[in-house]
Amino acid sequence: MKRRTLAVALVGAAAILLSSCSGAPSKADDHTITFMGWGSDEEIATFNTMISQYEEKYPGVTVDYVTVPAGDFATKLQTMITSNQTPDVFYLQPEKVMPYADAGLLADLSDFVDNNDLFDPSNVWASAIDMYRFDGATPGRGAVYGLPKDIGPFALAYNKDLFDAAGITAPTADAPWTWDEYVTAAKQLTTGNGADKVYGTGNYSLESAVWSNGADWLNPDHTTVTVTDPAFVDALQWVADLNLVEGVTPSPGEESAQVDYDRFVNGKLGMMGIGPWNQGGLWADADFQWDIMPWPVSPKTGDEAIWYGGIGFAVSNSSAYSEDASNLAAFLAFNEDAQRTNIEKGQAIPNLIDMANDEYLTSDKPPANKAEFIRIIEDYGRRATQTYTYNSDWFTLFNTNVASVWNGEQTAAQYTASIQEEMQQMLDDGIAEQQK
Amino acid sequence: MATNAGTTGQLRRRERTWGVVFVTPIAFQVLLFTLIPVLIAIVAGFTNWNSIRGTHDFIGFANFAEFLGDKYFWIAAGNTVYMLIPIPFYLFFGILFALGSHRGTPGSTMFRVLFLLPYVSSIVALVVLWKWIFNYQYGLVNQTLALFGIQGPDWLGDPAWIKTTIVLMIIWKMVGITSIYILAALKNIPGVYYEAARLDGASPVRAFFHITLPLLTPSIFFLTIVGIIGSLQTFVEVQLFTDDGGRNYSAATITYYIWQKAFGAGDLGLASAAAFFFALLILGATLVQFRLSRRWVYEGD
Repeated sequence: MKRRTLAVALVGAAAILLSSCSGAPSKADDHTITFMGWGSDEEIATFNTMISQYEEKYPGVTVDYVTVPAGDFATKLQTMITSNQTPDVFYLQPEKVMPYADAGLLADLSDFVDNNDLFDPSNVWASAIDMYRFDGATPGRGAVYGLPKDIGPFALAYNKDLFDAAGITAPTADAPWTWDEYVTAAKQLTTGNGADKVYGTGNYSLESAVWSNGADWLNPDHTTVTVTDPAFVDALQWVADLNLVEGVTPSPGEESAQVDYDRFVNGKLGMMGIGPWNQGGLWADADFQWDIMPWPVSPKTGDEAIWYGGIGFAVSNSSAYSEDASNLAAFLAFNEDAQRTNIEKGQAIPNLIDMANDEYLTSDKPPANKAEFIRIIEDYGRRATQTYTYNSDWFTLFNTNVASVWNGEQTAAQYTASIQEEMQQMLDDGIAEQQK
Repeated sequence: MATNAGTTGQLRRRERTWGVVFVTPIAFQVLLFTLIPVLIAIVAGFTNWNSIRGTHDFIGFANFAEFLGDKYFWIAAGNTVYMLIPIPFYLFFGILFALGSHRGTPGSTMFRVLFLLPYVSSIVALVVLWKWIFNYQYGLVNQTLALFGIQGPDWLGDPAWIKTTIVLMIIWKMVGITSIYILAALKNIPGVYYEAARLDGASPVRAFFHITLPLLTPSIFFLTIVGIIGSLQTFVEVQLFTDDGGRNYSAATITYYIWQKAFGAGDLGLASAAAFFFALLILGATLVQFRLSRRWVYEGD
């Protein structure tokens, strides 16, 4: 008897194994679309609420919401693409727009953006939608391949209590600090030793320094690596010297021991770059007054510069229900309740301009100078240089090895000269790959 | 007689039927999840299969030429060989510990459990733990060194130290399980051998080198084989300790290289080719070991 039971169990197991290979049958009217993303538990809960609302609004459509840890997302998505199981709607990083659209994986949403009853494109930040445009040659122009989940302008935050104690007044939008004024302030803020050490500033944004100095990683066509340009080298060296020469920012070792955010909330850091996604955390963690201010400018040009980033919702080109999928993407991107939740939780700035003006800017939670975030989106922010190229290996290479400049093993001039050729090679490989 | 033979034959047949029933599920598993994927991977190694672009044309040996000409592949190969360093260390400490606890030293059971903990814990948890232990400023190691006035290195960020950190972690992780295997082998050595040796006037040291060690060689051989394969496949430590394989690719192993090509770049063809090549190397290394084992592994008279 026992043996027979076992045999039955085995056969049963084999049957389950085989049957799971074939898909479940579905009714013609009712259908399911898949949405894949990642997020904190809170974010996932918000999405679940939104998805229920969507399902109510569009009867007959069921959304299968799949969440993957952020680190595994790319792997999982690629596996699904390979096996022709691409989710109908999925998260898309701006730097992936070009390779994915080029490979024909993304649905062109241009017509949908212009003719839909869920949102008015003129009420959405132009830069937020432009991150998902691609005309076949240059990203940022042409057809729309994604709707923004959010847009993340990177701003410079400061500890107002430390500023007040040192008698420093933060600059305003009409008169940003020059690099020299910034270093002077950072020196004043840097005090103490050992466990009491307070640094004037955290890691400075290299993008901001390079762009403000009139340089970039690539030429305007994004075909030539230009890191050996003296303006680039000077900017890189200036950032490295904040630690090496001025001693106003933690060394790479200290930074790896305790990240800027932790130092900042412990009151051990005067200034630090933050995004809107940090607001909620700072409300909870910071027991001091803080605000944001404009990024300092290179004395050479006086130009303000910083990056903004974001994640988008893309619709698969192979989706059998592209209309439902597009509606879901738009619903998730522009649903007012969800946008309001983002404001309340301090996770993001609303994608809808009127809501940003009426509800976000008027909220009494810090930062007081929220207008700076908007100024970055509308005025001086730029998308990262690597989002303009087919692959970003050249940028990863630069970033991984630039540590030798941060810790003073190499000068900026030595480093950029040593790495330029290999970066160019990788960039060329990417261009050749795209043209295949 | 005739009835007897008939019963035996029937029994045999029934046993065979049941044997087939028992083997079928695992045979299916091996076929579906091992053999077929391996075959696909070998074929894929000769194509330009790219998961993003959807290409899959035969391109001959171009993939092999590509990774063999890639300096990062060779850096990764060097790092992979480096990961063999822990093996003699954990074998040595594992044997030492097994000998110690074999004698029934007080508290040895507790130590056995403690030593085995790293092996049974999730590697992800271990890496998180080690990230703290080796934290540049607040880590246990550097804080301890600081007591003696030594500024410890940046264990995780400095390309000169990251491999050492991984090697230390592998030793720490493997000592426990090694000692458990050796302990089991020690328990299998009949006590009469030692009695005979003592009657012949052999010293304990002599008994160790002439009885214990030779009889442990099959276990040591097994642990070496498994250890080499495990070391060559080091991956999670690299992925979790570093971003992009560390500065100057200082921690990346071949497995990491393959993973990056497959899931970073979507270049499944190239990754399959490198994996196939690497599998052949491991196979070769294992065969050589079996060959060499005849010289030092005791297999009974």
